[in-house]
Amino acid sequence: MTEPAFGNGSPAVSSILRLRGLTKTYREGESDRAVLDDLEATIDEGEFVVLMGRSGSGKSTLLNLVSGIDLPTSGTVEIGETDLTTLSETERTLFRRTHIGFIFQSFNLISTLTVAENILLPLELSGIRSGQAEEQALSILERVGLGDRGDSFPDRLSGGEQQRVAVARALAADPLLILADEPTGNLDYETGRQVLTILTDLVTDLGKTLLVATHDRMLLDRCDRVVTLHGGTLHDGAPDFLESSSA
Amino acid sequence: MSLLQRSSLRYLTQHPWLMGLSVLGVALGVAVVVSIDLANTSASTAFQLSAETVTGKATHQVVGTTGSIDEDVYRRIRMEAGVQLSAPVVEGYATLQSSDRTFQVLGVDPFAEGPFRPYVRAGGGGGIDLPTFMTRNTALLSQPTAEQAGLQVGDTLRVSIEGRTIPVELAGLIEPESERTRRAIANLVLVDVSTAQALFDQTGRLTRIDLIVPDGETGEQMLAGIRSALPEGARVQRSETRTETVEQMTRAFDLNLTALSLLALVVGAFLIYNTMTFSVVQRRGLIGRLRALGVTRRQIFRLVLGEAALLGVVGTGLGLLLGIALATGLVQLIAQTINDLYFVVSVQEITIAPWTLLKGALLGIGTTVAAAVAPAREATNAPVSTVLQRSTQETNLQDLAPKLAGAGVGLAAVGAAVLVLTEQSIILSYGALLFILVAAALLTPMAVVAMARGIRPVLGALTGVLGRMAARGVVSTLSRTGVAVAALMVAVASTVGVGVMIDSFRGTVVSWLTQSLQADVYVQPPSLVFRRSDATIDEAVLERLRQVHGVASSHTVRRVSVESPLGPTELVAVEQGPETDEVYQFKVGEPEAVWPDFGTKNFVLVSEPYAYRHDLAVGDSVALQTDRGMQRLPIRAVYYDYGSDLGVVLTSRSTYERFYDDRGVSGIAFYARDDVDVDALIADMRGAVGGMQDVIIRSNKALRETSLKIFDRTFTITTVLRLLAVVVAFIGVLSALMALALERRREFGVLRATGMTPKQVGGYVTLQTSLMGLIAGVLSLPLGYVLAYVLVYVINKRSFGWTLQLSVAPEVLGQALLLAVAAAFLAGLYPAWQMARSSPALALREE
Ligand SMILES: Nc1ncnc2c1ncn2[C@@H]1O[C@H](COP(=O)(O)OP(=O)(O)O)[C@@H](O)[C@H]1O
Ligand SMILES: [Mg+2]
Repeated sequence: MTEPAFGNGSPAVSSILRLRGLTKTYREGESDRAVLDDLEATIDEGEFVVLMGRSGSGKSTLLNLVSGIDLPTSGTVEIGETDLTTLSETERTLFRRTHIGFIFQSFNLISTLTVAENILLPLELSGIRSGQAEEQALSILERVGLGDRGDSFPDRLSGGEQQRVAVARALAADPLLILADEPTGNLDYETGRQVLTILTDLVTDLGKTLLVATHDRMLLDRCDRVVTLHGGTLHDGAPDFLESSSA
Repeated sequence: MSLLQRSSLRYLTQHPWLMGLSVLGVALGVAVVVSIDLANTSASTAFQLSAETVTGKATHQVVGTTGSIDEDVYRRIRMEAGVQLSAPVVEGYATLQSSDRTFQVLGVDPFAEGPFRPYVRAGGGGGIDLPTFMTRNTALLSQPTAEQAGLQVGDTLRVSIEGRTIPVELAGLIEPESERTRRAIANLVLVDVSTAQALFDQTGRLTRIDLIVPDGETGEQMLAGIRSALPEGARVQRSETRTETVEQMTRAFDLNLTALSLLALVVGAFLIYNTMTFSVVQRRGLIGRLRALGVTRRQIFRLVLGEAALLGVVGTGLGLLLGIALATGLVQLIAQTINDLYFVVSVQEITIAPWTLLKGALLGIGTTVAAAVAPAREATNAPVSTVLQRSTQETNLQDLAPKLAGAGVGLAAVGAAVLVLTEQSIILSYGALLFILVAAALLTPMAVVAMARGIRPVLGALTGVLGRMAARGVVSTLSRTGVAVAALMVAVASTVGVGVMIDSFRGTVVSWLTQSLQADVYVQPPSLVFRRSDATIDEAVLERLRQVHGVASSHTVRRVSVESPLGPTELVAVEQGPETDEVYQFKVGEPEAVWPDFGTKNFVLVSEPYAYRHDLAVGDSVALQTDRGMQRLPIRAVYYDYGSDLGVVLTSRSTYERFYDDRGVSGIAFYARDDVDVDALIADMRGAVGGMQDVIIRSNKALRETSLKIFDRTFTITTVLRLLAVVVAFIGVLSALMALALERRREFGVLRATGMTPKQVGGYVTLQTSLMGLIAGVLSLPLGYVLAYVLVYVINKRSFGWTLQLSVAPEVLGQALLLAVAAAFLAGLYPAWQMARSSPALALREE
């Protein structure tokens, strides 16, 4: 139970994400509370990992550390050759821009940009030239089944459609690592399933590395590995509570 | 355009009202600054042009002591000194009866003119008959001017000068060769020297003699030759001297107008700050998402600053156009004031100086961008967000309020220190005033919190839950309400400050006028510059007036401009009347010692502004150019005088006559016999001089009223500027309230959904905005008082050297409160209506 159960323990050449001694504490009144406590993990290139855990167990916290949005209290976050914890705020932003695709629970599309522009944005930010970028954006939009909605603004789209745009946006800039934080949390069951199908199909096709936090058991069949966040560390396999609570 | 910029632009166009108001605020601020600058520049250009016109190519001038010189001096320069490049000039101002414009009358000798004023030759030599021009009362006008006035060659012009009207025949037209010449001679009436002497009643005298003196050795020798040929009192001076000194007269006046014009821009800066803060707060979520996608802080910063710059550029562009339009109206007000106070200037068109426009553009865009720096930095601090967070910003500002207040106290201390530690600088005083304004703005959030908390139970008792909510709402949205209240407070306080300053000034002037106008009847010739009536009353008129039945006694006053090492000085020579010692109240000096010697001993009294300007005190002396050479006269007293900010040197008539040959009289005051009705006396006097020189005869009451009318007229422009600042503040409040309404749409949606009627929502919003107005009004009172204090005791003193009595009328304070509440109430109507009619369903659906 206290063993680091995630990954094979030795840093493989092909590993893309390495978390070492990751600790994150939040100040709560007078005392500190550790949400993540000396957490260790490795993810290999092309791997599809599902992250489970109770609400409040620290999944979002973990993903935010991996994406460099937040910094750990201690420990390191290595992506490829880079240790995010040694980078400045701006350097982390630039790293995120080119190497990480993020899908959020609350879609988080930019309301003042059209669907196509939302997808173009990460490409433009990474400095990819516009002609090529537009083609790339359109093709990925086709892939998520919204080829005809490119000129619409996000508020014209349904939740499922918005999340499909978010999926396309996360993949557009050809990132090293794709993170998804409860991508179906704001969607009904059916729609959620559709989005997950599209996401996993795309990731598998493109051979991308994906770490997705979710409660949806559908992914258990399709992923390479399942891990559960509990007590501040990761444990192999799906949690027991899931069986009982989802019944 | 990048996607980020496109996103920005869409956001801006999605809020047309808010952005429109911001653009309007910047535009008005820039317009006011630019228009004042343009108006000032136009007046000064008009003056320079007219000065150049009459100076022509002359390098030097021979002038007398009191504004004229014997024409024999010209003969001596030509014959004895053998200077051929010299020309006699008689000049002055006149009105033509066909138009009420002021014209410059230039009397020249056509034979000597050639090298001096080319335009004279251009028209004068060709079309007209020289003998006619030189003998009869004939004049030349510029062709476009004549055409405008519908005059033709052969028509009779009725020229009025100092109350005398003389018919002059229009003998020819001058065709301007260039646009510059056209403007330069548009106000010129060109006559022969002898005609001018007749018009100005100056037989045998010249205003000056123009010279062209070459540079270097020859020139020096020539000047030496001329000097030796001059009688005592006459001097040679460089031609530019006059223009320079005249320009200096209005420096303090221009500076104060400019400072006041900046007020609207300062208020406009609040508006921009508010708009940009709103746009940032509203987009915190969006900015957080952009950050999560890899947009850097620097990019966000630049984006927000870019948006402000765009608003600034559009607003400034509009402001420049509006400023040019506004200048056309303001220039006449300014020209009027200059004419009332300083010298004659006639401005027919505005001069659009590129430098003024450039300054305005830089100021407008600079202010906008500067006002956006804080919100832009705020934007970079938006949390990189994966989930939406609400109202974090509000608690921040509440936490920040004490810190801001601390900074405000510090800033106020710096401002006060600048005021105390600097001696004379007007610019620094205004700088300090700006510090104090900003300090007050920084103190506002804390004051708003305190006042809203204090008023909450009261409002609750009066209007129930709605009232308590309204008071609470002001605090919970402090980032919005604080800025709106601050902007309104600054504008209202400025109005109070300037208003109290004008009232105090006026009150001081009223009591001074009452004190100094002791005689029953005052007579003077009509004068173009009200405060400097140095026209001369005809000898014959004086004689007749003195003999009117009912006159008990009279005493004269002579007003001349004389040269002194300190520049041209207004010298006033008075005959001692029965109450002279009451007329002149001493600031320094002993009346008991001074008055008995007045007339027997040679000394002067100087007015307070004169002493201040030249740093003189009792015991010092003033050097004056006289007909007996340069004379140093001791100063025996400094007296209060609010007639001229340039200052006056006062002496007795007998001292004056000892040093000057001039025997003219500029004004005369009469005491009526006790058994005579003053109005009847005035009627008799008017009858006695009918058909002679047209002089103004009026009672002391009428003179006092006229003086006050002029006083009020000189402050018209100040009032206009004050109003414009309030307009900008109103726009600021409107935009802040609109922003607030937009931001709280959801909250109102919830209120509506839970059963609040549209009317209640409207009432709630109106109550809240009125409360904000009340808070702003209350806060503006102490600030207004501080501003008034600084304006009266520091800035007025430094600008003009006057001691004023600060007096605060209770009405002014009531009006300030009313103004603030009314402005906020009115500005709140539209947002209240909008909120009231907003559908709850729509509001709730928005994220
Ligand atoms: N900024 C924060 N400050 C304090 N506590 C936080 C903060 N963010 C998250 N937490 C706490 O950390 C724990 C984990 O949160 P989170 O990572 O959002 O969990 P999950 O995504 O698994 O539901 C929760 O108890 C939450 O209250
Ligand atoms: Mg979460």
